[in-house]
Amino acid sequence: MLLVAVAALLLVVWAFPVIWALLTSFKTERDVLAYPPTVIFEPTLANYRDVLFGSASILPNLLSSTIVAGASTSLTLLFAVPAAYALARLDLPAKRASGFYVLATQMLPPVGLIIPYYLVLQKVGALDTYTGLIVIYLTFSLPFAIWLMVSYFEDIPREMEEAALLDRAGRLRALWYVILPQVRGGIAVTTIFVFLNAWNEFLFAVVIGGNRVRPVTVAMFNFISVEQTLWAKLAAGAMLAMAPVILLGLIAQRHIVKGLTVGAVKGAAR
Amino acid sequence: MSATGDAASDAGRVSMRGIVKRHGALTVLHGIDLDIEPGEFFALLGPSGSGKTTTLRILAGLESLSGGRVLLDGRDVTDREPGERDVAMVFQSYALYPHMTVFDNIAFPLRMVATPATGIDRAVREAAALVHIDHLLSRRPGQLSGGQQQRTALARAIVRKPRLFLLDEPLSNLDAKLRLETRVELRKLQRALGVTTVYVTHDQEEAMTIADRVAVFMEGRIAQIGRPQDIFAKPSSAVVAAFLGSPPMNLLPAEVRAGTLRVAGVDLRVDRALGADGNVTLGVRPAALRIAPAGMPARVYLIEDLGDTTIVDLDVAGHIVKLRTEARPNVREGDNVHVAFASHACHLFERDSGARRGD
Repeated sequence: MLLVAVAALLLVVWAFPVIWALLTSFKTERDVLAYPPTVIFEPTLANYRDVLFGSASILPNLLSSTIVAGASTSLTLLFAVPAAYALARLDLPAKRASGFYVLATQMLPPVGLIIPYYLVLQKVGALDTYTGLIVIYLTFSLPFAIWLMVSYFEDIPREMEEAALLDRAGRLRALWYVILPQVRGGIAVTTIFVFLNAWNEFLFAVVIGGNRVRPVTVAMFNFISVEQTLWAKLAAGAMLAMAPVILLGLIAQRHIVKGLTVGAVKGAAR
Repeated sequence: MSATGDAASDAGRVSMRGIVKRHGALTVLHGIDLDIEPGEFFALLGPSGSGKTTTLRILAGLESLSGGRVLLDGRDVTDREPGERDVAMVFQSYALYPHMTVFDNIAFPLRMVATPATGIDRAVREAAALVHIDHLLSRRPGQLSGGQQQRTALARAIVRKPRLFLLDEPLSNLDAKLRLETRVELRKLQRALGVTTVYVTHDQEEAMTIADRVAVFMEGRIAQIGRPQDIFAKPSSAVVAAFLGSPPMNLLPAEVRAGTLRVAGVDLRVDRALGADGNVTLGVRPAALRIAPAGMPARVYLIEDLGDTTIVDLDVAGHIVKLRTEARPNVREGDNVHVAFASHACHLFERDSGARRGD
């Protein structure tokens, strides 16, 4: 009973901003500024119409975000899964050191890297390009994804592969048929995290992208200007930007709950 | 050896020559030499850490070796990958693929070599029927009991008709009753299939009952190879003697002096050749000991009643000696008694080297 109460309280705390933004997105700009704030008002879809089809439509930006987040997520998985497997299983020289290096890259505050990255991309002419932004995102997401996936691979007993090797599968088919299906949960969790990070990223997107490449986070920033802040449109944009991520989350939810508890109980049934 | 008459069992001869395995500075195997005949059920027996599982894994190709050669049917397979050796293994943990059904688990080794689907279906059903799990084919390993998982692992090994079965403590995760039943079945199955089988176990009783021959491993060396009854009757050293039997052989320090055996302060007249004078270790099986009017003085320390048999723990000059008898002896804890044994039932080992004295 107490547990339910605590859970309800936490839910309220977490859900409040989202619900408030949702309400705001259906208000007129005038209702937004009403004081005291109104909860009962005449809802309007005007904000969504403007944000989707108006002069400041964020549809191209949603597409931009999808390309950047989609590409960096796919590339991250493509490289991180084999790399994590190698780190978890093979006897590589300097395995420990490289594992630490992977972790160490996560310790740098991203702000410190903006100027060097900007200069590098400028030199190679990749500023404000998809390639440039995706490559930058990879430098953050790859170490993270590798590090996360290693723990999933390490959780699988070596005897699985040994059995597959004796069953004449060979190393690659053992990985494909026996190991990868067992780390599906880990792959789902990694996908969500990497996609979320790329989708919600603002700092690098605004500095390195900006004109040709303008993800939705950057576009939404345009609703805030010196003269006024268009709160209702901002809220509508935020709701639209959340939708794909929530959808992805729902699809992968089953795996996430399992995945987040990895290692919590050693040898628990997968 | 019993299955060598089977026509299908000409393949599966194993030879290991001077196998050495080191982990850094630690030597795990000090030169293992083994010959296993086609169709033989061969047990690798030893305490944990004795090198028996490492030897099995080297045979499977899962472990690299630091020296020596492995031959299968006369062919040197030392540098061959596990998949190229045509051996099947049942792991202690079974290593079933949890995301596949029982059918897919058993079919996996066949699919890996592109067997036609109809052939796979028939082979899987045959193998499953042999181990009585043909009604479970659509289940997943997580939905099976331990015994059923074990059978699935067996079926996955059988289905390929390999030249060699490797079993790594396959019964150790089963409960005691199931273990006894499965042991018998495993033996029957191996006879029926006639496939050479190498079986790792730390359970001496299991090795004794199931195997045609046994290699006893001690600290990375083979201490003795032979038929179970021969090893039991004539252990080659004191350590082997102390490892076999339940309870194992009693070992007592003794001296040979001018044709008599001096144990626990008394001279025993033993009706057999004792060898040269010197310090020895006397070995007597618990069942060969009896409480007698004369013999070694002892005090009854504890009486363990096992129902059909009784084990009497005796304190003989500071050493605990176990006596096993089927009739409940008329003694009580704390009694002072004498124990004796028949001359032919005594084993003598050198005190220093532990080696058996000739007899």
